[in-house]
Amino acid sequence: MSDTTNRRPNFSNVPQNGINRNVNVLSIKPTTAKKLVIKNLKSEPKLPEDYIEQTWKKLKSAVLAIQQAKPNEYQLEELYQAVENLCNHKMAPILYQKLHNLTEQHVAQNIEQFLAESMDRYLFLKKMNNTWLAHCNQMIMVRSIFLYLDRTYILQNHVSSIWDMGLELFGKYILLNALVQTRVVEGLLMLIEKERQGDQVDRSLLKSLLRMLTDLQIYRKAFEHKFLQATERLYAAEGQRLMQELEVPDYLTHVDKRIAEENERVLHYLDPGTKYQLIHTVEKQLLREHVSQILQKGLDQLLTEFRLNDLNLLYDLLSRVKNGLAQLCSSFNAYIKKRGRTIVIDPEKDKTMVQELLDFKDAMDNVVSTCFHKNERFSNSLKEAFEHFINQRTNKPAELIAKFVDSKLRAGNKEATEEELERLLDKIMVLFRFIHGKDVFEAFYKKDLAKRLLVGKSASVDAEKSMLSKLKQECGGGFTSKLEGMFKDMELSKDINQAFKQHTTVNSRDLPQIEMTVSILTMGYWPTYQPMEVTLPDQMVRLQDVFKEFYLSKHSGRKLQWQPTLGHCVLKASFRTGLKELVVSLFQTLVLLLFNDSNELTFEYIKEVTNIEDGELRRTLQSLACGKARVLVKIPKGRDIQDDDHFRFNSDFTNKLFRIKINQIQMKETTEEQKATEERVFQDRQYQIDAAIVRIMKMRKTLSHNLLISELYIQLKFPVKPPDLKKRIESLIDRDYMERDKDNPNQYNYVA
Amino acid sequence: MADENDNERMDDNQKSDKMFTLKKWNAVAMWSWDVECDTCAICRVQVMDACLRCQAESKKDSYGKQDCVVVWGECNHSFHYCCMSLWVKQNNRCPLCQQEWSIQRMGK
Repeated sequence: MSDTTNRRPNFSNVPQNGINRNVNVLSIKPTTAKKLVIKNLKSEPKLPEDYIEQTWKKLKSAVLAIQQAKPNEYQLEELYQAVENLCNHKMAPILYQKLHNLTEQHVAQNIEQFLAESMDRYLFLKKMNNTWLAHCNQMIMVRSIFLYLDRTYILQNHVSSIWDMGLELFGKYILLNALVQTRVVEGLLMLIEKERQGDQVDRSLLKSLLRMLTDLQIYRKAFEHKFLQATERLYAAEGQRLMQELEVPDYLTHVDKRIAEENERVLHYLDPGTKYQLIHTVEKQLLREHVSQILQKGLDQLLTEFRLNDLNLLYDLLSRVKNGLAQLCSSFNAYIKKRGRTIVIDPEKDKTMVQELLDFKDAMDNVVSTCFHKNERFSNSLKEAFEHFINQRTNKPAELIAKFVDSKLRAGNKEATEEELERLLDKIMVLFRFIHGKDVFEAFYKKDLAKRLLVGKSASVDAEKSMLSKLKQECGGGFTSKLEGMFKDMELSKDINQAFKQHTTVNSRDLPQIEMTVSILTMGYWPTYQPMEVTLPDQMVRLQDVFKEFYLSKHSGRKLQWQPTLGHCVLKASFRTGLKELVVSLFQTLVLLLFNDSNELTFEYIKEVTNIEDGELRRTLQSLACGKARVLVKIPKGRDIQDDDHFRFNSDFTNKLFRIKINQIQMKETTEEQKATEERVFQDRQYQIDAAIVRIMKMRKTLSHNLLISELYIQLKFPVKPPDLKKRIESLIDRDYMERDKDNPNQYNYVA
Repeated sequence: MADENDNERMDDNQKSDKMFTLKKWNAVAMWSWDVECDTCAICRVQVMDACLRCQAESKKDSYGKQDCVVVWGECNHSFHYCCMSLWVKQNNRCPLCQQEWSIQRMGK
């Protein structure tokens, strides 16, 4: 205190201040100290002579009392003290030895009861368990009495603790006795097998005895190995048997149940260390051994019947087995190829092929995403399989996909909303992606698109454009540029028609009262059509000429070629029942107009006057006289048009509708048309092959036949057969683009 | 509007005894360049298609073809305009007949 009060005035005088403080501190300390001396006892204190015997007697009687489960006559406290005293007098080794002997005697005695012949296994186990539990309890109590011994002597001398000593002795006498050990283990195995057969067993008994084995450190040696062997035997037999007896789905359910049971077994009484091997054994015997059989026997059925839950289970189970998924995947792949092939290959099923493919794809996608956890390997395999089988049949799938799209994009297809249609188109694009010969698709798509646009049957411009952009995205602008050109033509035609309308109203040179619109197509964008000359009525010829003159005045250097096959008209028709409007093709128009002058006409006459090509005219007449709306009457009746048939105007024609469409035949594809389209694709392919051969030869100069073929396969994007390539090579040799090497007939040289 | 027109015309038709009258006609015609030879002798591509250069450029723009028109010389030979305009920079003669090149007309 004085220190702090002094500090402030003497703040500048630090050294002096320090000295002052030291003085203060010293003055507090005592100046003198007393000495304490410890001396040895004059005589060492000794234990009474018989102390050890007396004390041991006490302890021995206590231990025996515990072993015989009798009340103890001494206080535990007293006994503990005794042990401590003995230990402190270096009696620990003797004490330990005595305790050891005592325990050994007891355990050795116990063994007798387990050697008896013909004891019920269950009782035996019960008894064993009781003995074990008693032994444990005893040892715990003994240990608490001899705790001091445990803590001092045993820790310092590296001998087994009392508890361990108990275990060792128990193990030595009871369980290392071969007979007893076998009996225990076999009893346990019997119980487990019973449980596996579906019986209720005493799980706590199992657990306790297995704990015993673990504690005695013979679990692994004596039990686990045998247990696993027994497991293996059981499930090997069960797997063999059930594979024969059960259907695959039931088998899978059973396996799943078994695995769950075994897991539970581990949870309830087995040593956790056994889990891996146990489950592994079960999987091996019930699954791995049978993977190929399961897949062979059951996968097709599961997939065909679309049993998602079972498939999911199958996937989960096989993912447990090495290579299981790989095998599942390859079987899945094989199934798709097999099933897909049946969809694709049969010409009878052409009508439904695309829809079936879409459904099949949907189903398989669903399987992969819900049952196979969207495993990438499976989805890739799915794609590969589709690509494989779809190209098993060359060209036809491509054609049918194109036609399918056509049917969806056509007017009158009211089954789908715009979004549904969009989704459908997306799905179709997926199929389209698998197709190798995309040129076939293009050709048929183009032909159908042309019809939709020209006959005005396209359902929606948006859907058309959307499909176009999908194709463009998929195959690039080169693929779609002509298709886009077609749309462009339709738009330009609209403008021209408007201009033409204005033109005619200004210069109305008493033109016929016919509303004329013309679709002007750019040659090259559109499919090529057979040029066809027909005789038009005068007023139509006039109108046509006026338009031509008008068009060519706007566009110099062009020529126009009329395409009568694609024209269509609206006719007013007066029947006895009233007025109707008929939507008809140009050919139908030409035929019908003839009936203005005469009520009945012969086939020959119609043919002569209209100049329509024979087959075309027959089809036209059939559509008018034998179709749904019969505007003409054929004499005699019949489906096929004969040369000497007559036709009469059907004045009694009735129909609910005012406007009747009879021009469906224009949308219909004739076999010739289909053939021609196909033919054109093949023609184009030949040019492409030629070009590719020349390109390769020009680069390589000389090349062997095989190398040339393999390079061609890399370059060509459509399926070709080697003989076709050979033919093209021959043709190029004939035309002197290349030559066979004089010395080596298998080698070609480029001819510049 | 349309219905009114229809009615008027219907009346006309009833007066006439014709069974069928053509009301609307949607004709279809294909146009192509009015040329004697349908390949361009300079780039060996059909004149209806864009010339090689334009095709290469129009990969980005699919309507590029519009500009690739045809040109006729006084000799009546025809080529892509793009091809010919490059040609005349080197040689002002028709590649086919060696006549002095002068444009007769252009495609439109």
